[in-house]
Parts: sequence; structure tokens; C-alpha cells
Amino acid sequence: MSVSSQANSTAARLARWLLGCAARHWPEENRAWGLALAAEIDETASAFETVRWSLGGIMLFTRSVLSSAWKWMKLPAGSSLSGGVNRPKGPSLLPKRSRVFTVAVLGAAALLLALPEGREAIRTVRASWHEYQQSDSDARTLEKLAARAEKEKDPSTLALVALSTGDPKRAEELTERAVALDPQLVWIYGSKNHSWPNFDSPKAEWLARLQAADPDDAVPYLLAADALDPLRTRPLYQRGIPKDAEFEVAEGDSKWLVLMEHAFGAPRYDSYFQRHYQLTRTVWNREKNLSPMIVFSGLRSHAIPSLQNLMFFAHVKIHEAQKARAAGDLSRAERLLGEVDAFGARMANGSEVKIEKVIGMVISQSADKKLADFYLSTGNAEDARRAASRVEQIDASFRALRPGYDSADHARAQTFRREGMLVQGFGTLAVLAGLAALAGVLMLELWPRKIRDTKPIWRRGACLAANYAPTVLLVACGVFLVSFLPFQRAFEAYRASTYSLLNEEELMDPMWGLMEIPRYVTGVNFAVSVWTIFTIALSTLLLFVLARGFYRMRRPVANPA
Amino acid sequence: MGLRIRLSKQTLAVLDALLGRAGQWQHGYSLSQSTGIPSGTLYPILMRLEKFHWLQTRWEEAKTPGKPPRHLYRLSGNARQWAREEIRAAQERHFWKPAGNEV
Repeated sequence: MSVSSQANSTAARLARWLLGCAARHWPEENRAWGLALAAEIDETASAFETVRWSLGGIMLFTRSVLSSAWKWMKLPAGSSLSGGVNRPKGPSLLPKRSRVFTVAVLGAAALLLALPEGREAIRTVRASWHEYQQSDSDARTLEKLAARAEKEKDPSTLALVALSTGDPKRAEELTERAVALDPQLVWIYGSKNHSWPNFDSPKAEWLARLQAADPDDAVPYLLAADALDPLRTRPLYQRGIPKDAEFEVAEGDSKWLVLMEHAFGAPRYDSYFQRHYQLTRTVWNREKNLSPMIVFSGLRSHAIPSLQNLMFFAHVKIHEAQKARAAGDLSRAERLLGEVDAFGARMANGSEVKIEKVIGMVISQSADKKLADFYLSTGNAEDARRAASRVEQIDASFRALRPGYDSADHARAQTFRREGMLVQGFGTLAVLAGLAALAGVLMLELWPRKIRDTKPIWRRGACLAANYAPTVLLVACGVFLVSFLPFQRAFEAYRASTYSLLNEEELMDPMWGLMEIPRYVTGVNFAVSVWTIFTIALSTLLLFVLARGFYRMRRPVANPA
Repeated sequence: MGLRIRLSKQTLAVLDALLGRAGQWQHGYSLSQSTGIPSGTLYPILMRLEKFHWLQTRWEEAKTPGKPPRHLYRLSGNARQWAREEIRAAQERHFWKPAGNEV
């Protein structure tokens, strides 16, 4: 075959073109050999030979590129194989660590964070900075969960999604669907906090259904009373204890009064928190990958009746009793105070939520104090003593419920706070180290000339970052992950525990513990802490400048020669 | 020579081809033709020989305009003696035989 005919072959032309491309992009260090090999292709005797020669060349090119890349990787960031433009003339202004080391350390850090524990840690810590608000990804997870539950006709999962989703319309649909599938779940009608984050009263129809389904419970009536005017009592208590005139106004609101009377007369007080916890655990045990944020936001948005409303109605009744006593109707006064006392006791005993227990006790104690006073004034010493004794008992119960009173609970909460600070501290350090490593390496790799010609402080800064930031990142990621493990174990223990609301702290302590730093940084103390740090930094700088000036002044005296 | 490299059968074949016309410059393609070694194997061998200064290289301007210059190779003076010894040792060990003797 002639040279011209073989040159016309498509395969040969392609082979020539490929080898030409390879020769043009051959690594600098042995480009001469690439050109030498490429030059010989014109001598090949057939199209087959051309293709064979070209394939050999491409193979060699690949080896050269890989070998060159490996050599490049063994150099520190910012240096090149030729060593020409990037090699500094003075003392080393390149990082000490090789690119291989940097890549290996960054890869190990990425691997740690990619572990399931690492992913959960990132998700949880990130959410703690947003006060456990659901993210878009949480919303998508919930939507997927709802779609599957609808397909499988699973009422408990539908109910959990209904209670957890941030989309009110979707919550409404899912609530209806869950109750339709399982009428036992009717309590979810009154368990979604419609005043959080926006005031949006629950549907009157739902509350009516709940009252019909659970007529002995005070909570459905209280929720219905709240729904009449959710902001009724807020301004009253902002000015301290309400005035007589305000009691008179409230006594004129018959609709509200009827509902509140029903509630105070109901034999039970149950705000369905226990059932919500039980439902959450059941579903979380089935769906172990469910994010703690979803669980937490669902529980946090559980509706409890307005406690101010309750207090206000108790005050209205006590006010009414005082009026009856002043008018000489002692039996009515005693009955009214007794009703308030009994309701407070039912609330304190029936609820397993601490704040509800406390409010119940406050209501009961207010009535008991008035009763003791009432009995003393009527000469009924025995009843007065009993009422005073109840006041003391309630005081003792208060102390037992006070946050931090239980030393074991307090110690656990403190431990989680400390661990939370470690997690947040090392998480923040990891982010900063990651950014520093990225900035240092990119500056050295992308703008080596600029870095070489810039002020030494910038060069040193970039080298320092490229040298140490990856290692700091790896260590910070490791400690971040290890310090998050107790939190992960707490979530696991919560899922595995028996259904008791009293160990709610097992979940809440770790989650609040993680918020220790974010709450401080994003809260009202933020400005104070920023200015404190600023002042300390400036003072340190001033001290440094003064000390250096003093040292420079002293030096010529110390060494006159 | 001081430095030693692992001599494969292909390296011995290249050395034999270079010794066959000792002192004369040879092109890469002709070496490939005479030894039957493909370019992807031949050039790494030539690169290693050159790295140890056992191979002399030079560029030859193309006779036809527009064609790239070609690379030429020959063994250096010291390397010839060394190559002969290595080839003889390999033959004695029955590790390698020249192409003509293989059949």
C-alpha cells in the first residue's frame, strides 16, 4: 500500500490527528519524546501500522500524563513541575506539605462527614442554628412519607405528617384523611398549634367534632374558647394583673364564658401530649432515618390551651367569688373558689407537661389562699387549716417541678449543654478551617504569580492556611463527630424507650443543648458579645503596640555598641 | 557504568538492534520494525536508556518541507561494551535469544 493511499484511510487520518493532539498536549518534561514519536508516524507503511503506532503513542502519552500528574501531586500547592516562575528566589515561600498530603487529609475529612453519623450531625447542627425550623429537604421527606402512607393507608404516619408539616393546607388534608382511616385519631384535631408560627385558629368544625368525641375533657372547650379571640388575654397580662373593669368586660362575653365554664367543669384535663409523643415514637421507630428536626418541630408545635386564658378565667371566677362574698352570698363564694381549686388540681394531676402542671398548681393555689382567708373570716378554723395545708403542699410540689431541682436531670442537661458547645465549637472550627484551606490552596494554585509578588504577609498567610488548615479541618471533623455521638445515642435511646412523656427530656435536653451557642450568638446578647470581643481585640492590639514600642526604645540602651 | 536497570526481553531486543548497526544513527520506526516492538513499549525503553546516558540522541531536519524533524538514536561508546555483555549473559541464562535464533 502506498503512503498516499494509507494516508487517505479514515482510521489512519483519525490516528494521526489523535497523535498530533497528544503531542501538542504532552507534558513539558518529556515533550521531546512525544514529538519524536509523532514525527515517525509519516514513515508507517500501512493504515494498520499508522493506527498501531498512534495507539502506542497515545498509551505513552497517558502514562506520561499520569506520571507527570503524580509528580505534580508530590509538590506543595502553588509549585509547578518546571519550577520556573513559581519557584521563589528567597527562603521557601511555598507550603511544606505536598498536594498528595493535602488531598488525602481533605479526603479523609470529607469521608468522616459523609458517614451516616456525620450527615446526621451536619443536618442537626445546621438545623439548631435555624431553631429547628424545617428545611426544604425536611418538607420533601415529609411529603414522600405522606405519599407512601396514603398509598399504604397508614393513619398514624399520616397523622404524624399532618402534625409536623409546615404547610397548613396539606396539614388539613392529611388530618382529615388520618381521622377518616382511624377515628381513634380524632385527638389530632386539637393537637396542631394553629397559633404557631402564625395565628390561625383551628377549624370550628374540628373542635366541635373533638368535643363530641371527648366530652369529658376540658381541653377541647379551652381550645374552642381560645379560638374565639386568640389574643384576648395577651394585653391584659402585659400590664400586670388585670383590673376589675377588665373582669367585668370578660364576664359580659357569654360565648367565651360558656366554653370556659364547660372546661372548668369537665372531669378530665388532657392536652393529648402523651398521645402525640406515643405517635411520634411509633412512627420514628418505623422510619429510623427521619430527621430529628421533623420530630422536634412536630412536638414543639403541639397545641396546648392558652395558659393566660386559663389564668384569666380563674381570676374572673375568684373576682366573682369576692363579689359574692362582699354581697353576703357566702355559699356561692365558697362554691366558685372550690371550682377553681378543683380545676387547678385536675389540670396539675392530669397533665404530664410541666408548664401545664405548674399553671394548674398556680390556679389551685390562688383559690386555696382565698379559701383559707374565706374560712378564717367565717370562723371555720378546720377548713382554713386544710386550705392552708394545701397551699403548702402545692409549694412543695412546685419546688420538685422547678427546672434544675432534680439533680440527675440537671446534670444531664448540663452535660448536653457542654457537649453541645463542643459540637458547635468544633463544627464552627471545621467550617473555618475548611474555608481557610480552600482559600489558601486556591490562592496558591490559581494565582501563583500574584502571590509571589504580593506582600510577604499574604504569602505567609496562604502558605500557613495550605499547610495547617487541612489538618485542623480533619481533627475538627473528628472531634465534631465524636462529640456528636452522645446526641445520636440520645435520639436512638428516645426512639427505643417506652411510652412515657416524663422522659421527654431525653430528647429535648440534647436538642436544646445543641442550641446553647446559636441561642447566644443569634439572641439579644449577640451585640454585647461582639462588642466585648472587639474591645478585647483592640485592647490586646494596643498593648502589643505599646510593648513593641517600649522594647524598641530600650534596645539601643541595652546594646550601645 | 555504576547504575543498572532491569533488562527485559524487549530492552535486550532494542539493545541488540542498536548494536546491529553500532555507531550508526537509527530512527524510532526502523527500530520498531526490526525488533517488532510497538511504539508504546519502544519509546519508554529509549527514554530510560537515554536517562542513564547509554543512548545518544539527535534531531534530523526533515528532507521534505513541512514535515517535522525526526529523532535519531545510537548507543554511546561505553554502552556498546556493556550491551554486548548483557546480551551474552542473557543468552547464557537462556533468558533471551536474538530474533533470528528464536525459530
